Amino acid sequence: MIEVRGLTKTYRVPVRPPGLGGALRSLWSREHREVHAVADLSFTIRPGERVGFLGPTGAGKTTTLKMLSGLLYPSSGEVSVLGHVPQAREPAFLQQITLVMGQKQQLLWDLPAAESFELNRALYGVERAEFRRTLDELVAMLHAEPLLEKPVRNLSLGERMKCELIASLVHRPQVLFLDEPTIGLDVEMQVQVRQFVAELNRQTGATVLLTSHYMQDIAALTPRLLIIDQGRLRYDGSLDDLTRRVAPERRVVVQAVVPELEALGLVAHEGRMVATVPAAEANALLQRVLAVAPLVELGVEVPPLDEVIGRVFREGRA
Amino acid sequence: MSRPAPLGSGTAARLWHVVRAWPALQQVAFSGMVAYRAEMVIWVLSATLPLVMLALWSAAAADAPIGGWDQLGFTRYFAVNLIVRQLTGAWVVWELNWQIRQGELSPRLLRPMHPLVFNLAETLAALPFRALVLFPLVGVLAVWRPEALFLPSPSVGAAFLLSVAMAFFAAWSVQAAFGMLAFWFEQSMGFWSAWFAVWALCAGYFVPLDLFPAGWVQLVRALPFYSTLGAPIDILLGRVAIGPTLAVQAFWVVALGAGLGLMWRAGVRRYGAVGA
Repeated sequence: MIEVRGLTKTYRVPVRPPGLGGALRSLWSREHREVHAVADLSFTIRPGERVGFLGPTGAGKTTTLKMLSGLLYPSSGEVSVLGHVPQAREPAFLQQITLVMGQKQQLLWDLPAAESFELNRALYGVERAEFRRTLDELVAMLHAEPLLEKPVRNLSLGERMKCELIASLVHRPQVLFLDEPTIGLDVEMQVQVRQFVAELNRQTGATVLLTSHYMQDIAALTPRLLIIDQGRLRYDGSLDDLTRRVAPERRVVVQAVVPELEALGLVAHEGRMVATVPAAEANALLQRVLAVAPLVELGVEVPPLDEVIGRVFREGRA
Repeated sequence: MSRPAPLGSGTAARLWHVVRAWPALQQVAFSGMVAYRAEMVIWVLSATLPLVMLALWSAAAADAPIGGWDQLGFTRYFAVNLIVRQLTGAWVVWELNWQIRQGELSPRLLRPMHPLVFNLAETLAALPFRALVLFPLVGVLAVWRPEALFLPSPSVGAAFLLSVAMAFFAAWSVQAAFGMLAFWFEQSMGFWSAWFAVWALCAGYFVPLDLFPAGWVQLVRALPFYSTLGAPIDILLGRVAIGPTLAVQAFWVVALGAGLGLMWRAGVRRYGAVGA
């Protein structure tokens, strides 16, 4: 389905010292430096998988998505998506994929979103009856009926993203590249987009490759993670495995402050008491807490995903 | 739930896809024109320089003809100039420049049809607006100088229409090529300004090419500038041989189209999809 072998993208960017001197020098001698946005990346994604693509800003996530969708030519390496070489941008390939960019839109700004949908219907060669059916389904799933006839410029950011998703999906793509689809959206809209993507994957079996800075997107949508940093793949596996490997400890949390529990190593914090212990010792500690304070409400927490990912980037552990 | 029938990659399949999609492209492009109607009228009016040139040259020829051109000759020349200029006008150079520099080309590149096809549809969708502004202007000219009205023979009329069509494609290709320079240069519109200055002189926009020194006329008529404007004017006014003029235009349409294709392929390889 998606095969990536040794994928590399190197940009040659001009550099110029600041100030008037730098500006004058650049007139006759322009300096460049090479930026390795993606370096020797390899992975495989099976049909129907939902995969989260994570990495800090500038890690190479968007560059990789652009190469997978055919927008950018790789410097070296091989990519195959649905059996096609993306950068050839054959119509039969483009007809089966979509790239949703949270920070760029394809909607026609001064026209109602319905015009953009009609344009895409024609460009993707979708029959009218099929288009009507697909559009009705997508509009219903995203509760977007009131938005269709408003000029795009009059829609809120969240409303625009709903219409952007519809425009990107009228041709029923088999592969969805989603680049920060929830960026800037309020919490409720983020939840709606997540539910929509999950439902779409369930209904159509489409493969989803998602980048997001919101860990809730990843936790809710993508059982498999690809973590990339400085253009290199740092982790490829499930979220659970990552948590076990990177953050093997658990937090035992008591929803009250009981001074006697300090002896067991719990520390009072904002009306709760918390102790961080190796996962294997969490149950034993729970028993000891209950022995001391049998009526307290208590639980065991896995470290938040943000923290786990943060450790991968900070400590290079995965 | 079914997916659309796969689109072919061959030239014939791509053309057939464009033909099938064209009505929808035109309808959406026209909706865009309607949304920008006020700007459109201003744009169209900005290309009425031939009327200014008509006033200037008419005044200059008030006492005696200039190089064989009298007031009636200038009136006909610049009236046809205005019509051809409107029918061959485009703004694809600005559109492409903006889309490439801002990364807005990215969503267009991801659709299974060449992005320039929609640019072309947008240009053609503006024609009704251009006609809307053009008719009253030509009407005023007809009232002012009724003796300038003339009816070409059917063969000359047909040659004129063919020549306008080729001028349109040549002019559009040149604009698209300059727009594509944004693949390589950050401030590519400077090149367009330089081209426009030379074009206005060598295409016959400011002055009929007959008024150039005799040795220059044939050379300038062989250059691409003339094929984008002056050729159809001179064909309609019967000032050039139709066959050779159409042949030169056809050459430039093919050459510019081929050049555009090469530039596009090279430019897209360079495209950084900035900010997208």
